[in-house]
This record gives sequence, C-alpha cells and structure tokens, in this order.
Amino acid sequence: MKDLKAVIKENKLIAENIYELTLTLPEKVNIKGGQFVNISTGDSSKLLRRPFGVMKAEGKDITLCYQVKGGGTQNLAQMKAGQNIDILMPLGNGFDLRGFKKVAVIGGGVGIFPLIATIRAYPEIDFYTYAGFRNKGAVCLLDELEKSKSLTVTTDDGSFGEKGNAVESYLADADKINADCIIACGPPIMLKILKQRLNERGNKIPCFVSLEERMGCGIGACLVCVCKKSSGGNARVCKDGPVFDINEVEL
Amino acid sequence: MADLSVNICGVKLKNPVIAASGTFGFGREYNEIYDISKIGGVSTKGMTLQPREGNPVPRIAEGKSVILNAVGLQNPGVEHFIKHDLDFLKSKGVVIIANVAGKTLDEYGEICAKLNGLVDFVELNISCPNVKAGGMAFGIKPESIKEVTRVSKSGLSKTPLMVKLSPNVESIPVNAKAAQSGGADCISLINTLTGMAVDIERRRPIIANNTGGVSGAGIKPIALRMVYEAAHSVEIPVIGMGGITSGVDALEFMMAGARAVQVGTANFTDVNAMPRIIDEMNAWLDKHGILSVNEIVDTLKLNG
Repeated sequence: MKDLKAVIKENKLIAENIYELTLTLPEKVNIKGGQFVNISTGDSSKLLRRPFGVMKAEGKDITLCYQVKGGGTQNLAQMKAGQNIDILMPLGNGFDLRGFKKVAVIGGGVGIFPLIATIRAYPEIDFYTYAGFRNKGAVCLLDELEKSKSLTVTTDDGSFGEKGNAVESYLADADKINADCIIACGPPIMLKILKQRLNERGNKIPCFVSLEERMGCGIGACLVCVCKKSSGGNARVCKDGPVFDINEVEL
Repeated sequence: MADLSVNICGVKLKNPVIAASGTFGFGREYNEIYDISKIGGVSTKGMTLQPREGNPVPRIAEGKSVILNAVGLQNPGVEHFIKHDLDFLKSKGVVIIANVAGKTLDEYGEICAKLNGLVDFVELNISCPNVKAGGMAFGIKPESIKEVTRVSKSGLSKTPLMVKLSPNVESIPVNAKAAQSGGADCISLINTLTGMAVDIERRRPIIANNTGGVSGAGIKPIALRMVYEAAHSVEIPVIGMGGITSGVDALEFMMAGARAVQVGTANFTDVNAMPRIIDEMNAWLDKHGILSVNEIVDTLKLNG
C-alpha cells in the first residue's frame, strides 16, 4: 500500500456522465482487478478521498473510470492533464481467478470497470461477459469488453444490444456456457437479484461479487464501510473485500 | 531537533501527537503504511464489555471541510482487544490509550477494572453521539459526568483516567470541573458535534442513523475555544483535538493550553498526516529556536 502523487495524463468523457481518467504514477505499482485506489478530488474542502476500481494498469499508468454523481466527482471531471492527484493504492483484495478456466462475467453500469481489469489480467481464461447498461448513451468500453471470448451487451430500454439485463441474459446462457466461476459487479439490487436467482437454480459454481459502500479511511481502520456477513457480524468492504463470495455476505 | 516529548500524568510520550479514537482502529492498518512507533500514542477504537455490531450503513457523509460519522461503537469487545491487539500496540512502543464506553455505570466500572494496569491510559467515552444507550447519556450533565468518572476511577488503581468531553453541552468549564472532581487524571476534548447531512433527491438524511458526529478541519475554531476553556478551568492536564490537520494546528491547541493533541479525520485525507504533523511541529519549533514543545503550552495571551 503506497500513498503517491500521480499526474493526470488524460481525463475524458467516454459516455453519458462517465469519465475515463488515466494517471501516471511515479513508480509502477501492481494492482489486481477488483482492487481499488483512493484518490483526492482536487477540492481541499472535501476531506474524504474517493474510492474507484481500476479499469486498466499498464506500466506506470493506471486508468479508472467514474460516473459524475456528487460534488467530488464533479470536481474530478474538471481536472486537466498535468494536474496532480494524491493516490493511495492498491486497496482491497481483488478478484483471484487462479485455477479457473471458464468464467462468466456479469457487470451492471459502472460495475463493469473492475471486471474489465480482471478480464485483462487473465488472458488464459475464457470469459463470457454480460454487460448491462441503462441505455445506449451509457454504453462504453466495448473495445475492452470485446477482449472476452464472448460478449453480450444489454440495455434496460433496448436502445443498444439486447433489451433486458445482464443477470437474466447470463442465466439464459448458463447451462450452455457451463462456466466454472462467476464474477459480478454492479448496483446492489443487481447483486441481490443475482444471489436470489443463483440460489433458485441451485447454482454450484463459485460466484464472487465486488461490493460498494460509502468509505472513510479506505484501509480498514474506521469501520465505516461494513457489510453483513451471512455467518453473523460485519466485514469491512474496503479491507476484507471489496470482493466477497456471494454466499458469505448479505445483499 | 526540538524536544517533542511530553509527560502527562507521569506517562512519557515521545511526542504529543496521538491518534484519535475511531479513526485508527488498533493501529495495525496504518502500520502497513508507516511505522506507527513514530507517533506519540494511539487511542483505540471505542470498546465495550461485549462485542457490538454498530449501526447500519451508510455510516458516513461529507460536508465542506467536515465529515459526519455514525459507526455506533462497532468493536470486538474489550477481552478481544486484550488478547489480540494489546501486545501489538505494546510492541510498537506507543502510549496506549484504551477508549471505553458502557451502557450502565456498572459497565464503566467493570471495563475499567479489566484494563487496570494493562494500558497507559483509559479514555472514557461519555460523549459518543451515535449510540442510544450509554456514551452521550453520561456526558451531558455535570452530575452524571462526575458520577461516571468516580465509578470508572474506582476500577483504576494503576492506570490514569482520561475523560473525553462532549462539545454538545451547555458549559465546558462546568463539565471539565465535574470530571476533575470525579477523580479524572486528565481530560480530552472535543468529541464530535452532532450534525446531519441530507440527500435532497431522496429527501432523507444520508446517514442511516439520521444524525452523525461532525469532525474535520471545519470544527477547529470551536474545538480550540473549548480546549482553551477546559484548560483554564481545571488543574489536570488537557489533551486537545478537533480538526487538527497540520503542525501549526497542533501548536495552536498547545498554546491554548493542551498538553498533547489527538488527530482523527486528517488521517483519512492524508494517511501520513500524523508523521507529517510531528515533522511540521518540529520545524516550527526549530525555526523559532524553541528547545522543547512544553515551552509553548498555555502561552496564548488574550487580547486586552
């Protein structure tokens, strides 16, 4: 875990309200898909750093994508190439797919970004990817998603790809694909439905999900970003996660 | 290099910069970033007799130059701390301040007795704004502050007692005196100010608990005033906190009468905040030719 000063290389709009931010680090830092970084937003009245999953890491450059939602991301969107950003990384556990051969990937909205980093990290694995977006305007990073062995894009309104959602689209193909693992990231409701539907069909393969929660320190000290464990008690999303076995957490 | 060491109630701290309760866990996470033996002390996450799961999420929100939190005293219980975390903190050579809270007077007495002789200080949390039972209930009125201090002190024959005062009260001087008369060995303040953050789209408070404790740079002027008031109403040492983010901030609190400071929210903005603050204090003292940090304590002169 390192606290570094990165320089913005590029900060560009890639879909409706979605920006792709590439930072150059002073040194190469290894980071896994599903791990995240905590960055300053360039507004000193905002005391909390913002956690973002990394979409791509190449040499000293890392790329993350974010949706403009509140004041922090609005400020981030104004930042230009050449400006500095404080970055604490790598944080969290990330996806560990060693030993798997065929992995189903289910992403919803901004949840696709950490999944892309994971797909990039395992060129030997066959990924069957289901990426769901709100509408055509939200669709992005198809070139990255196409690194999968197969890609199905869905939109809620059918304005691009199949009309529907990524979970149902995967379930329709599940028997045909016969994957040995599932990874998923997306809005809480998507993960909740995924868990229900997998239980209904008596799913036997491991399923790992990446969770999101409002965070404080980002390193496991402040106990702000907890989720409930199925076995009782809390887990820290930032330190014990953000990736959990879907059966280990209450969604 | 100025001498940064301070002595509080006979306990020597290598420097006056202490991690504030609830922002630093039991020190392990920050020790992955820097060697926490650099800092003066660690006030642990607030502990209770039994483990507590705390409040639902979201537990945090942000305002301008402040944050709000309502963790609700999630902690593994004091026995777990004694078995699993105490030795780690001891191995780091930092002064260990066990922050504790109880639901009843008896619980305060019991938890203090369990920690007697094991830690350098027990810090009484009678001002947590985020739990219904205990905490704040004892921290508002001078009579109950005196009583909870007395009961806690009765379990602590070997360990000095630090009472952490709430800012959400009528009079800091009255409450500081109440803690002193109850037998407190020192006082720390301020805990967080109760606040609210609103999501206008959902028309609901952001924090699940509705209200949360406000901390961070924005509360510093209030904290400074209260620390000054406390330090000038009691004889026992005062440890100041509230919005400290720099060495200059820390020195302001010490000039106002604090013998040491605690740093909390700044750790979230800058994980290296405490080592940096120590360096900045040192640099300021060197620049002014001051040999010991103790020389600046309570040197603030009020305007005519």
